[in-house]
Order: sequence, then C-alpha cells, then structure tokens
Amino acid sequence: MDDNVVSAMLLVSIGLGSLGLCAFLWGLKSGQFDDKNKFLDGALFDGEDDLNTAKKIQDRKEKNLKDKKDNETKA
Amino acid sequence: MQLSNNKVKCNHCHLDFDNDVMIFETLDNKELSFCCKGCQGVFHLLDDEGLGSFYDKVGSQTLHPIKNTNNDLTKFDLEGYSKKYITKKNGLNEISLIIEGIHCSACVWLNERVLHECEGIIETSINYTNHKAKIVWDPDIIKLSHIIEKIQSIGYNAYAYDSKLQEQRANKTRKEFYSRLIVGIFCTMNIMWIAIAQYAGFFTGISLSIKNILNVAEFILATPALFYTGWFYFKGAYYGLKNKIINMDFLIVSGTLSAYLYSIYATLTQTGEVYFESVTMVITIIFVGKYLEVLSKKNAVDSLDSISSSIPTEVTVIKDGKKNIVDTTEVEVGDLIEVKPGDKIAIDGVLFEGSGSFDESSISGEAIPVYKKNNDNIISGTVCLDSVITYTAKKDLSHSMLQSITTLLEESLTKKPKIEKIANQISGYFSLMVLSMAILTFIGWYMMGVSFEDALIISISVIVIACPCALGLATPVATLIGVSVGAKKGILFKTSAHLETMAKATTVVLDKTGTITNGHPDVVNYMQNSQFDTNILYSLVKSSSHPISKAIVTYLKAKTDVLEEHQLKDIKNIEARGLSANYNNQSLLGGNIAFLKEMNIDCAMDSTKSVFVFAIDGTVVCSFELEDQLKTGAVETIENIKKLGLEVIMCTGDNEHVANDIAAQVGITKIYNSMLPKDKADIILQLKRCDKIVITVGDGINDALALSKSNIAIAMGNNADITVKASDIVFINNKITTLYDALKLSRKVYLTIKQNLMFSLLYNFVTILLAVLGYVIPLVAAVSMSLSSLVVVGNSIRIKRIFKNG
Repeated sequence: MDDNVVSAMLLVSIGLGSLGLCAFLWGLKSGQFDDKNKFLDGALFDGEDDLNTAKKIQDRKEKNLKDKKDNETKA
Repeated sequence: MQLSNNKVKCNHCHLDFDNDVMIFETLDNKELSFCCKGCQGVFHLLDDEGLGSFYDKVGSQTLHPIKNTNNDLTKFDLEGYSKKYITKKNGLNEISLIIEGIHCSACVWLNERVLHECEGIIETSINYTNHKAKIVWDPDIIKLSHIIEKIQSIGYNAYAYDSKLQEQRANKTRKEFYSRLIVGIFCTMNIMWIAIAQYAGFFTGISLSIKNILNVAEFILATPALFYTGWFYFKGAYYGLKNKIINMDFLIVSGTLSAYLYSIYATLTQTGEVYFESVTMVITIIFVGKYLEVLSKKNAVDSLDSISSSIPTEVTVIKDGKKNIVDTTEVEVGDLIEVKPGDKIAIDGVLFEGSGSFDESSISGEAIPVYKKNNDNIISGTVCLDSVITYTAKKDLSHSMLQSITTLLEESLTKKPKIEKIANQISGYFSLMVLSMAILTFIGWYMMGVSFEDALIISISVIVIACPCALGLATPVATLIGVSVGAKKGILFKTSAHLETMAKATTVVLDKTGTITNGHPDVVNYMQNSQFDTNILYSLVKSSSHPISKAIVTYLKAKTDVLEEHQLKDIKNIEARGLSANYNNQSLLGGNIAFLKEMNIDCAMDSTKSVFVFAIDGTVVCSFELEDQLKTGAVETIENIKKLGLEVIMCTGDNEHVANDIAAQVGITKIYNSMLPKDKADIILQLKRCDKIVITVGDGINDALALSKSNIAIAMGNNADITVKASDIVFINNKITTLYDALKLSRKVYLTIKQNLMFSLLYNFVTILLAVLGYVIPLVAAVSMSLSSLVVVGNSIRIKRIFKNG
C-alpha cells in the first residue's frame, strides 16, 4: 500500500472521529444531556404549534434581555 | 364521560369518582365533569390560555386532584428569603426550585409554558428527572411570590432549595470528569487498532515509512489522553511535590511521561519501539476508577438536596397575638411557636397549648408516635403528626438538638482520617526507589564507557518497564470491579478505599429501628368479630397519615383485590388515640383500646403489641395487632456475619424491653439500650480505643453521630437523611442481607488487591533487574508491560463471580 494512502486513511478516520467527539463534548457542555427523560420525550412534543411557541419564547427572551440592557444604559 | 357503576372521570385529573360528588358543566356543547373546584379552575385556566393540548400530551395518565393551597406567599418576597436562595446577575434574579407534583413530561411542558407566558420571566428550565427548576426573572417586572402563585394556580407546588451548596459543584466536576473520560476512551480505542498494526508489523515485517506514519498517528492520539485526561494526575503530583510528598500520582506521571517522551525520541530518531498505546491505556483505565468515585459522590449529593430542603428554615412565631413568619436563626428563648400538622420541629421547647402525636423516629428510633400534652418536651427533628399546637422555645437554633447534631457531625467529618494516605506513601517509596535506580543505572553505564545516548535509553527503559501499569492498576481495577459489582447488589461505596477498611473490620454495630427491623409497624394479627364492609374501614384509615393507619391500609390492600373509597363525613383525628367518622348515619370508631374504652365501648383485649380496634355503632367488628417486624433475612445475616468472625453489637434508642426482645430474635447478645445519639458515638469511640475496626449501620439522624465516628459507616437507603452524608457506604435497597454481601465482597476485593500487588511487585522486581543490566529489548518491554496489566485485570475480573456460585 502506498504511504500516502495509509496516511490519508488515518488522517480522515481520526479526523472524522474527533469531529464526532468534539460535537459530543459541545453537547455535554451546553447541557443537552442533563435531563435524559426530557431529551427523549422532546420527540413526543414536536409539532408546528410547539415550534412556533419555541420561536416566540426565544424572541421574547432576547427582547427582554435587550430591554433590560437598554434600561441600564439609560440609567 | 359516563362510566359504569355511577363512576365519572374528572376532566382534569382523570381519576374516577362517584357520580354524586362531581361538579358538572357544559362548555361548547361538551359535557364536562370535575371532582373539585380546584380541578375545574385549572381546566378553565388552561383552556383560556390556549393550553388545552396539555390533556392530549398527558394521555391516559392520571394527575393529583388540585388542592386549594392558601399558603402565605409573602415570605417569598422577604429580604432574608431572597438573600438565602436568590442569586443576582446583571440585574436579573435566578432561583432554584423543586417543583412538587410533576409525574410526567406533560407536567414539565405545562409548567414551562405557563411560566414562559408570564411577563418578566426570562428563562425556565425544569429537569424531569429530579424535578428541579431553574428560573431567571426580572425583579422589576414580576415578584417571586407571583411566580410561585402561578405554579400553584395550575396545581403544582414549588419550594426553593439552596443549590449553591453542593449540587452545582458536584455537577460541574462530574461533567468535567466525564468529558475527560470520553476523550480518554476515544483515544484508547483508536490507538489500539493502530497498535495492532504495529504489533503485526513487528512480527511479519513492516516498512520503516509505514511504521513512522503509525508512530505519528499514535502520537497524535496519545497527547490529548496524557495531557487532557491525565491532567488530574499532573495536578496531584504537583501538589504532592509542593507538600514534599511523592505520591501515587507522581509515579503515574513519571512513568507515563517518561514513556511518552521516550516514544517521541524513538519516533524522531526512527529507532526502537514506541509506547504510546501503553501511556494512553494506563491513563484511561486508572481514570475510569476516579470517575466512578465522582459519580457516586454526585448521587449522594442529589439525595441530600431534597432532604436539606425539608429541614425548616422558618417558623411561625406568635407575638402579641399576631402570627409572624420568622427565620429560625432569629428565634429567641421564650418565643411562642405555632406548629401545624406535618411540620418538622426546628427548635427545642416545651409544649404550651394543645396536644398531639409526634413522630420521634428520627431522633430516638421509636417507631410508634409519642403523644405529647402540656409541659412535655418538644425535640427538634421530630414531626408533628395530627394537630395544631403552640410551644415555648427553650433553646435557640444553634443549641437545639437537630442543629447541634448537625454541627458535631460536620466537625467530625472534616476530621475523618484518610486511609488512602498510607497507600500513597508506600507507592511514594516505590517511585522514589525506581527513580533513583534509573539515575544510578544511567551513571553506572555512562561510567562504564557506554555512549551518553545508550546509557540514557537504558535508564529510561528502567522507568518505562517499572511504569506502574500493573502496580497502578492493581488497586483501582480491583476496587472498580468491586464497586460496580456492589452497585448491582445495591451497595453504594462513596470512595473505593472503604472496601479495604471494611475487609479488615472486627466489629459490627447495628441500630435497631430501620436497620434490623422495618422501622414502621406491620399488621401481625387480624381478628374479625362480625361481617362488615371493608371499604368503610379502608376509607377511615386512609384519611390518616399515622404509621398504624398506613400499616392497616397496606394490609387491607394486600388482602383485598378491589377497594373503594367512600365519602365519610365528620372525620376526626383524635391525637394519639384514633379516628372517628360518620358514614350513612353509622358512627365509625377506630383506635387503641384506651380510646374505645373512653367511648364506652366494651372490648376485652390484652396485648403487649400496638392494637387497633374498629367499631361500627358501638360494636367491635374487628381488631389488628401491629408490631415493628424484623427485616427479611435479618437472622441469617447476623448468623453469617458471626461466622465471618465479626463481633455483632446492637445499639438502640428504644427501651430495654423492646431491645431485648428484638436482640433475642436475631441472636445478638451484646445490647446497649436507651441510647442517646451522643452515647452511641461514645460506644463507638470506646470500641475504637480497644483497637477494633468498627462498622456502624444505621438509618436515622440519631445514628449520624455514631456513624461519623466509626471506621466504616453504612446508611440504610430508605431514610435518605443526614446519615447519607455521614456514611461511607449506602445500601440503596434497604435490605439487611446486603450487609453480609458487602462484607463478603470487600474481603474478596481485598484479597484480590493483595494478589495483584504481590504479582506486580514481583514482576517489577524481575524486570527492573533485567532492565538495569541492559537486557531488556524494547519488544520485551512492550509485551511484558501489556501482559502484566492483563494478568492484573484478569485476576480482578474474577471478583465478578463472587455472587454467582451461591
């Protein structure tokens, strides 16, 4: 086997593996695995309504935080 | 939703109720029925807010009917409360709550949705597993009391807990350890298949260029394993050196680091074999043991949190005829304190007005509640069961029983000796010896005229071959398997070092209530005088939370297939005596003999046990005898422990009569009765002074002090209490038989560790000698290193078979 082929294979496989590893570590760090049951049941509560609400909540949260910041800079 | 037998399903809680108690109404041409105003209120609330889809998500699950809680919510906005529980960040408040009443993921969904709809709440996340919620809100827009009110309005309840203490820290370390472990495992698994190619290449021939590529790949994988996963050991070694101690961590670091550096050297110069795979494997395997320790600590903290939140932080003080909620630390001697049924007492005192039963089991171990009247002593840590009373505080918080036990406990916990230190010292000598031998080897060979480079390689091979693979694995792998086998049997070791101490134990001290016995009364005898409807009795005893009533409920449930609850009228709970009620104009009475005699009912009975007599319209229809029974397997367990050569002692807060009775049943000859928590601790200290290694098993606060003084403290898992904190080992399954299993397991593990250490020391002795003499070629080093580790691991795996052959 050509040296280049071996090194390319090693590089790609280890690279792909570490990509997965990094994704997992990120998920762990951002708390996605903190609550196993909620994580699994999330699939049950997955509908158009729920998506809309999630978006609405996200927007409101950002707006709230922004308002708070504005108030502080004013004061 | 009409059902057969005149039963109707409540539209909110989905429970079945009699037709005549329901509230009916029509909404949008739909017939709705509710069991109570609370359920009706919540249903409308959800419907109005467009959250009706909650009921689709709940499916066929049933909920608790809504109780109208008219709690005083003002306490949530008090200064002291917010100081204790609320953390402030960028002008936003954050609190950790435990939400009661969650039993499915739809509940979590509903709570989060309702809170998100609230103006001013920025973030909510509720954990389904432990019902803990984190809420961030803007204090300028909404008050905490409104948030709690919102949660209560949909039928749940919330109380704050102090998460700052342990939980967050424990969680953080666990997460960090987990990341490090995952990286270690990833590297080990990948490096192994590269190593296989290396080994194969060594025997069948491999071109130098391919070998170099593999070396580099191994280097890439070994680096994060050594420096990220193994960071823990670098830190340990550094702190050890700072305190002028050479510890096990230092040995691991020096071994792996020198093997790592040598391998880099071998890669660069393209001579010899590399040891990257050994480095990675050793670090990862040792780290798994460390991780399991962190994990078990986290479990203990989790159960501890919900308990510390149940210890009251405020009491109702009556001053000048007004009721005030006061922080427990601010209560003064002489204050009048009001206690409601179900409240836990925080401050010692003397009863002033009223009378009632108190559950003292957590302090004295007495399973049957004690009836208290005027001028009787009230002890903190006990629970008022059935009536509203007021009492005068006789001590402040810091001198009260509960608090002083806790303080004593914390003191002794910090003073607890660390057994691991000795093991660390031995390995310290070993690593010092290896290091000096390596240096001497280098000097020796160099003086004999060998080139600098060769002398260096030989001396490094001494360190590499003495690398504590086998030695380092000898203890952790055996304890690791021991701990995991234990976990399957319901034994939770807080740190693995306890296995060793446990194996050397000479004396076992057992608590009675909750350890040898079940800790609550059970029906042992049932006598029926005439025919009657069991459902009436069931409804009557169901209305009380007294242990005896509960025991009868359990007994009736086991005896009868179908039980129905009737609606009784005028249910009265007569303190420490019994219950009375009315059903279809029949008067119902249930209680002890004294109570029935008081009511002029003739019942000729005589029993040394607790008795519950049930009478309808003045005639006794049946009676029960109850007793705190032995746990299953108690007799065999104590016999087996004696066979192992251990001395068994029973230590209880109960009176002499009960203590002797139980001791005779299980065959214990040495008994101490009527013991206060401090007396128990003194006995343990006495035993320890006679050079005994003492195991103490207990379950209540009254045992906590004794537990903290003993060499090995075992807590029964049913009372997740302060005992859990003081203990080294927790029996999750709450069985006494587990004690024998734990002893057997610890002895087996200890034996295995001794075998492993013997083997690895012998191995190291032979190979170091060969290495010093310069006979070790790299292949021998590599193979023998892996082989010695395999022997140790293989020997340890044999522990798993301990419970298979009977």
